[in-house]
Amino acid sequence: MSDAAYGPAMNRVDTQPEAVPEPDATATSSAPPATRRARAIRTAGLWLAPVMIGLLALLFFFYYRGLQADGNSTVISALDWGDKLLPQTIRIVYIAFWSTVIVILVAVPLGIVLTRPAVRRISPFVLAVANSGQALPAYGLLVIFLGIMGQGRFTVIVALSLYALLPVLRNTMVGLDGVDRSVIEAGRGMGMTKMQALTRIELPLAVPIVIAGVRTALTLNIGMATLAFLIGGGGLGITIQTGLKLNQDPILIVGAWLVALVALSFDWLGAVAERVLKPRGL
Amino acid sequence: MENITNWFTYVNDNFEYILEETINHARIVLIVIALATVTSVLLGVLIQRRPVARAVVLALSGIVLTIPSLALFALFIPVVGIGNPPAMLALYLYALMPVLRNTVTGLDSVSPAVVESAKGMGMSSTQQLLRVRLPLAWPVIMAGVRISSLMTVGIAAIAILVGGDGLGSYIQGGLTRFGLPNSENSVWAGVVFTVLLGLVLDIAFAIFQRFSTPRGLRA
Amino acid sequence: MTTEQQSPGQQAREPKIRLDKVGKTYPGTKVAAVEELSLDIHEGEILVLVGPSGCGKSTTLRLINRMIEPSGGRILLDGEDVTKVNPDKLRRRIGYVIQQIGLFPHQTIAQNIETVPRMLGWDKQKAKARSEELLGMVGLDPERYRDSYPKALSGGQAQRVGVARALGADPDIMLMDEPFGAIDPITRERLQNEFLRLQGELRKTIVFVTHDIDEAIKMGDKIAILGERSTIRQIDTPERILAYPVDDFVDDFIGTGSTIKGLNFLKVSSLALTDYPTLEPGGTAEAGRAALQDTGREWLVQLDENRTPVRWIHADGLDSADHERGEPVGDLLHSQDTLFHALELMVQSASGETCVVDDAGAFVGVVRMADLAKAIRRAQYEARMHYEQMERQS
Repeated sequence: MSDAAYGPAMNRVDTQPEAVPEPDATATSSAPPATRRARAIRTAGLWLAPVMIGLLALLFFFYYRGLQADGNSTVISALDWGDKLLPQTIRIVYIAFWSTVIVILVAVPLGIVLTRPAVRRISPFVLAVANSGQALPAYGLLVIFLGIMGQGRFTVIVALSLYALLPVLRNTMVGLDGVDRSVIEAGRGMGMTKMQALTRIELPLAVPIVIAGVRTALTLNIGMATLAFLIGGGGLGITIQTGLKLNQDPILIVGAWLVALVALSFDWLGAVAERVLKPRGL
Repeated sequence: MENITNWFTYVNDNFEYILEETINHARIVLIVIALATVTSVLLGVLIQRRPVARAVVLALSGIVLTIPSLALFALFIPVVGIGNPPAMLALYLYALMPVLRNTVTGLDSVSPAVVESAKGMGMSSTQQLLRVRLPLAWPVIMAGVRISSLMTVGIAAIAILVGGDGLGSYIQGGLTRFGLPNSENSVWAGVVFTVLLGLVLDIAFAIFQRFSTPRGLRA
Repeated sequence: MTTEQQSPGQQAREPKIRLDKVGKTYPGTKVAAVEELSLDIHEGEILVLVGPSGCGKSTTLRLINRMIEPSGGRILLDGEDVTKVNPDKLRRRIGYVIQQIGLFPHQTIAQNIETVPRMLGWDKQKAKARSEELLGMVGLDPERYRDSYPKALSGGQAQRVGVARALGADPDIMLMDEPFGAIDPITRERLQNEFLRLQGELRKTIVFVTHDIDEAIKMGDKIAILGERSTIRQIDTPERILAYPVDDFVDDFIGTGSTIKGLNFLKVSSLALTDYPTLEPGGTAEAGRAALQDTGREWLVQLDENRTPVRWIHADGLDSADHERGEPVGDLLHSQDTLFHALELMVQSASGETCVVDDAGAFVGVVRMADLAKAIRRAQYEARMHYEQMERQS
């Protein structure tokens, strides 16, 4: 938890309950120098990342320019910026954004409910399902929803929301479970109501892990939004697909590169959000 | 209900072929996991006590995971051609991070007192690693392997889009014949067998984890 | 079970906390975790609940602020039955300190301390002033610690903040569950002393749980020794428990050395001191021999101009012209010193006897080992009489 900052979102997929360090009350006032240096590197990474992404974007720009200069008409028309690439990029972001919003609105409250004492018993079961849900093929889920809801971006958004629900649900539950019981006990002992203990202690302390889950969800959603084209949801997947069909590596590369740029940018935004939203003092 | 019996009939009729693709799928995953595990454990041991290398390597291996699978698969096509190789290369890169991270965490969690006493008994640093640190970190490393395996099983279904094989072919088959008889059965077969494969491999790794973990550490 | 008999004056006073047949049996279990328990705690007093681990002392403490709901009985605070009132509101009136401290890691130290005042609707200024005051009270510089986070604190500092936070809204009652249990012995000792000093000013009514009998003896105005299922085996002042453990369980629990620990509660002033012949500065050998003959002793005490004892001189040594004749008297006792301190000095001194001086440093008399033995026997006798009298009354 202490090494949030520019750690990639997927870091937290494996947040096993036992890997969550207990917030230690008998404080460790100064971290060993090695840890501090590593933390400094991660902080530097947070600032360095946009530079690296910018560099990749610049390389992309030159590559793209080069392709247009080559004058292969198939390639040029498949990679038209205003007609193809820009709307496709926007579509991916649109899909990923809304499915992530839905995921948060559903998974966080659900995670809160599932960690309340009354239903706590079933939480290991839910976590086990959430765990094996990782093997669910995104591709298959999309096609199944195609059968249920028909073509289009809304089908994609619903399928994605379901798919990315698990990491956020899981992290919300693990995060809330990981809050030091003695801190809650102290709060309740001072006369906080259950609601106050939840909103003032448990949720703020679980925030870093919940956000890590949201970052994972965002990553999954962008990845799956790339597949949206399979069921008529559009997006940059179309360009990649075109490249594959026409056996044109440049089209393939441009599509994939752009997807990677979008994914990296959003992961960075997630890292920044994680840093900003993490309560001070942790 | 009718749909379900219908599906079972379909699976029964095509069982041989489904099994074949399941085995193909499993082969891709197992090769990838084996290679990724060896690489990650070696790398993990190397970087665990070097804070700078550690932060950089962990960050990079994590960044790889954020790149959408289709894009990463596609990016390798110009390098290794179409078929299983680009998919396996990408899956290998994805599978590194969980194992790597857990290797480092696992080694971190070995009590310094235990290492200290091993040292005090005159073990060389290689002996300390092989006889004390790795065995103690093993359960955590295996937990990482299991995460990688589940993840890889799910993503490998996309290999079909870049010309690879595996259970994704049933999903794609259903999609291309969408609306025709048995198309949905085909998709469901692809999805259900992928998840089943994930579970079976997870259980297999869990059993392997149990028997490869020193007795005193078993839960 | 033994309940202490109050003197008539105290009896008339209403107890601050009264547990009336309070018990806890968890659903689905047959054996009570806490057997029906009745207990009075008076205003301004520290009652220590002490017992072996697993005896239910923490559970008993948590029944008082209803962190655990009692399954039977009544809890009265100032005569008011609080068994059915809103438990959250109840807890805001009671300070609560736990071993794990439980500071909120995401809030500053000032915010931590202001938690209860703010919940009670104090305005910001008043709450802030209070947290500053409390930080000073527990010995932490407000300037330095107000805005820092709990992770910057050492274990001892964190528990100071824990105590300050419990005192936030100035509750009359404090419940403390092994508050110093996780702190290193040296810091613990310091925190105990500071806490006792603070309590001297604040006079809170405190229930304090510990498994450490020495801590109980040190902190408690009264000690309740609990057996299984939180049954009270003996409840009394520390000195009486040490002087007269009522049964083998208590005897075992307070352990060896209880007699010596009891010396902590007896003062030199309570002893009839033994008179000793003295020799004024410049006094002759003849004067010394005369004094010795009058009292029939072999040693006398050489005084200086302030009548402060300096050396022991033996009858045979009186004739020596040596200025350094005899033995130095060593450290001196004052009348307010404990007999434990007296014992320590006696063990160190060559003669096994130690001189007592008054506030001006003038010689008053001598304490001998036999005086300590006598004092102990008297304390034990008085304690036994106390219990016999109680038995006769009931």
